[in-house]
Order: sequence, then C-alpha cells, then structure tokens
Amino acid sequence: MLARLNRKFGYDERSAAILVFPVVAVLLVVAAYPILYSFWVSLHDIVLTRPLRRPFVGGDNYLRIFGDERFWLAVSRTTVYTVVTVVVTTVLAVLVALLLNETFPGQRILSAVLLVPWATPSVVNGLMWKWIYDPTYGLLNALLLKVGLIERYRAWLGDPDLTLMLIANAAVWKQMPLAALLLIVTMKAIPDDLYRAAKVDGANVLQRFVHVTLPALRPGLMLVLVYETMISIRHFDLFLIMTQGGPGDASFTLSWLIYVETFRSLRFGTGAAMSYVLAMATFLLSWAVIRWLGKRI
Amino acid sequence: MAGRPLAPRIGRAVLLAFFSALFVLYVAGPVAWLVSSSLQTEAQITAIPPNWLPPEVNFGNFDAILNAAERQVTYETRRQGDPATGGFLPSGAANLIPSLWNSLTVGLWVAALNLLLSVTAAYAIAVIDFRGRRATLYTVLATRVVPDIALIVPLFLVIRNLGLINTLGALVVTYLAITVPFTIFILISYFEGIPRDLYRAARIDGCGHWGALRHVYLPLSLPALVASLTFAFLTSWNEFVFALVLTQNVAAQTLPIVISGFVMDFTTSFSFVNAAGVIAIIPPVLMAVLFQRYIVSGLTAGAVKG
Repeated sequence: MLARLNRKFGYDERSAAILVFPVVAVLLVVAAYPILYSFWVSLHDIVLTRPLRRPFVGGDNYLRIFGDERFWLAVSRTTVYTVVTVVVTTVLAVLVALLLNETFPGQRILSAVLLVPWATPSVVNGLMWKWIYDPTYGLLNALLLKVGLIERYRAWLGDPDLTLMLIANAAVWKQMPLAALLLIVTMKAIPDDLYRAAKVDGANVLQRFVHVTLPALRPGLMLVLVYETMISIRHFDLFLIMTQGGPGDASFTLSWLIYVETFRSLRFGTGAAMSYVLAMATFLLSWAVIRWLGKRI
Repeated sequence: MAGRPLAPRIGRAVLLAFFSALFVLYVAGPVAWLVSSSLQTEAQITAIPPNWLPPEVNFGNFDAILNAAERQVTYETRRQGDPATGGFLPSGAANLIPSLWNSLTVGLWVAALNLLLSVTAAYAIAVIDFRGRRATLYTVLATRVVPDIALIVPLFLVIRNLGLINTLGALVVTYLAITVPFTIFILISYFEGIPRDLYRAARIDGCGHWGALRHVYLPLSLPALVASLTFAFLTSWNEFVFALVLTQNVAAQTLPIVISGFVMDFTTSFSFVNAAGVIAIIPPVLMAVLFQRYIVSGLTAGAVKG
C-alpha cells in the first residue's frame, strides 16, 4: 500500500515537473535572470559611452538617485498621474458597469463597443488623442469653441498645468473597458434577492447602490485598483508619443526619467537603480492596497 | 414588467438612452474621428472649423501609404506622396508593409507558444497537488510585478549578448514573458472551475495527466483558450517599449514602432498618420469584437473569486 502511494506520488510530481518546466525555463531567461542582472547592473557604474571601465560602486547609484532632484520631481509627477488615472478609471468603470449591467435593447452592441479602446494599440491611442488635442486643427478646440467654453484656440498639450491630465485622459480611455468588464462580472454575481430585500425595506436607488452594490463590489474593486495602479505607474508609451516629458518638465514621470537616463544619457547603472526603486515601490504599493482593502472586506 | 406603471418605465428608457449615447460618444467618438480624418485629404482635415465627416470618402491616404514602397520615398520626393494635396508622406512609409508582416509573424508565434506553455503549466498548478505548487505559482506571478521599464535595461543587455538584437525571435521570447504569467493566472481560475469529479473519472478510466488534460480540461475550456490566444496576439500586436529598444530597422521593427516614427516626424501630414493609425487598429479591434464573448468570459474568470 505504501509502495503504491509512493509510486502514485512520484507520478504526480514527475508529471508536474515536466508540465511546468518549459514555462520556468522561459521565465528564467527572459524574466528572472534580467531582474537579477538588473540588480547587479544597479550596483555598478556602467556608462555605455565608456564600455571597458565598469567599477563596482555598491549603493552609490541609489544614493545618487535619492539626492537627484529630477528623481523627486519625477516621483511627484508619477504620483499625480497615477492617482488621477486610477481614480478616474475606477469611477468611470463603475458607472459603465452599472449601465451595461442593465438589460435593454442595444446593450450587447454597447458591450462590443466597449472592447474597442481595450484593443487599440497604445501608440495609436497616443497619436489619436494628440490629434484631438492639436492646437490648430484639433477637435477639442473646435468643439469647445462651438459650445462657447473657450474664446480662442489653445495649445492644450503645451499647457504645463494641463498636460498630465490630458495624458491621463488618454490612459483612462484605454484602461476603463477592462476595469468595467471585471466589475460587470462581479455585479452579475450579486444575488437579486439582496436588491428585493432592500426594496422591501424602502431603500431608494442610491441607497441600494451604496448598501448593496458597493459592498458586494469590493473584491472586483480591489482587483481593479491594484491592477490599474500597477500598470499606470509604469506608463511610458503615451509620454513618448505625446509629450516626451514636456512641455518643460510637466510630464517628466519616472518611466520617462528611466528611459532618458538609460537610452539617451546611456548611464545604465543609475537607470537600473531607478528601475529597481520603481519596481519595489510598485510591489509595496500593491501589497499595501491588498492588505488595506483585504482588512475591510 | 407589464404590471408596472408607465411613467417609471419611460423614465428608465430615457435615462438608459441618454447614458448609452454618452457612453458611445466617449468610447467610440475618438476612434470615429480618427477614421473620419483618415478618409479626408490633407486640405480637408486642416480646414478650420474641421470637417466632422469627410466631404467625400477618399482612400488616397491609404493608397499612398500602402504603395509607398513602389515609389521610393526619399526626403526630397515625399512631397509627391499625395499630389492632390501636397501632403508630406512620412519618410518611413515604405517600412509600413514589412512592419505589418513582422507584427503579424510575432503575434501568431506569441499566441501559439503562449498557449502551449501556459496550458501545461496551468494544468499542473491547478490540478496536480505537487510539492512546490504554491511557490511555482507565486514565482510566475511575481515576474509581472516588476515594471516593463525596469526589465528593459537588463533584457537589452541579455539580448545583445546573445546577438539577438533586431530579430523577431527576440521579440517573441520577450513577449512570452509578458503574456505567460497572465495567461496561466486566467487558465488556473478556469481549470479550477471544472468539477473535480470529471478529473477523477478520467483517472479511473486509465488516463494519465496528459490524457486528463487532453480529454477533460481542454475541451471544457474553449472560451479561456480563445481568450488566451486573443489576449496574447493583442498584447504582442500592441507592445511598444520592448520593440523600440530591441529592434533597429525594417528587418524586425513592428507596426507600432514604424507608426511612432510617423508621429514624431514633425513634417508628416496628419492625414497619413491617421491612416496609419487606422491600419494598426483594424486587426485587433476586429479580433476583439469577433471573439467578444470568449474574451469576456475568459478574461474575467478569476474576477468573482477576487
């Protein structure tokens, strides 16, 4: 009996090893190894314009970053951008989910339309909004002028106070659909009885939303918040296409700083150190959000 | 429903119609404007106030871009790109068709390999109770916590040392690192929803793990499999940062890279940029709408459990 159990156990383990091996091999080469390699790079003073001398400098790169005011500027830009993107995405996603969770003629067509931004490449998303914001021929100017909200055309992306918000708007447009889909699925799982009971108790629409829908949405909202934070904090494509960190330093975010430091200044050591700081921040942030929201469920 | 008074029902219909209109305007409006501008000549889209719809439908931009290779676009000759309007054809226009094929090739390889790798691993993690199961799952998911931008430097160095810079293979392997963890996550939630009794029955009938996967799990998870294929293809088709760093010329550049070149060339006519955008948007949007039901049920399988 024991021998048979052992054999059985052995078969499971052997199969699992064979089935999991290819994935582990691929991820070792293109994910785990680069992550560790990156750490090694971040401890050295590697500048590509001086390829032969790459001294070990320990934590110096990290110290240099924390003393660099560009870094702190980028942190504040990234924070503002991420918070705005995540909050607006989540609020819009809840509204869209409420709409599409209803049954009405045309609801299925709207659900198909919802996938369009999700499927749009970020480069096209960037050029599309850049074209809409265009100072001379853009639709935004024409629209606002027609409605009477502005008196003359403005260079939207050239306004340092607005740039970050306008890029965030493009990001929200693309990210909102997946968030809404996740929330719709969570909503569908709420039993109708809860709504009926609330109605019997005399709750109006708003009260039903606050006391029935929102609490039941918590798991979905948690997933959306963590996921959106993790991807917004690392956004890069839109910044390259739309503003390249400008005007001035108005859209100078962390990913943009890392790109400039690494591929324009060719300082790989500090670039890698910055990447590590961003990775750790993302990790700690998602962990904190999960803990914080997890406690409140 | 029939018993309810008329007034609230009308009120509900009006509200739904209003919010549906707002929704369509916000979600589809920008794309509609992109398509509309791509069908106008340079003179028409630079009119003030703008033409909301093309005065007449004109495929000249698409024609000029798609046939650029035959015309040898150089910096000097690109003004003739669109003789009707004198618009500037992007100097990289001839690269568009090759990059379209590159995107397609990479996308199909990523979709296929991603599914192959993820299905086996997800089955093992979801179904087999082996030592190190949790550790494997967490390790796989943890690789996605690191932002792409943080992987760029080391990945660039690794790929360069392997001599794979500017090859499609480098892109395929890199994209697998992005798609595999997410696909495994989706497939695990799906596999765990399949009744355990079916697995036991298959094992009693003499199936090994390979048999159980083939005869029980794969046939029952079609939506998740289609969602995974679509998701991997779209991720690969849309990816930008890695392709920017890992490719250098037309041998391996993908569509987003060539298009970003259009955008950042300040003399390029808007009409051409918009037409290029529309070309890049068509395959992924068609795919998403076509496989809508699979995508929704596949991508969201894990959401309810939280």
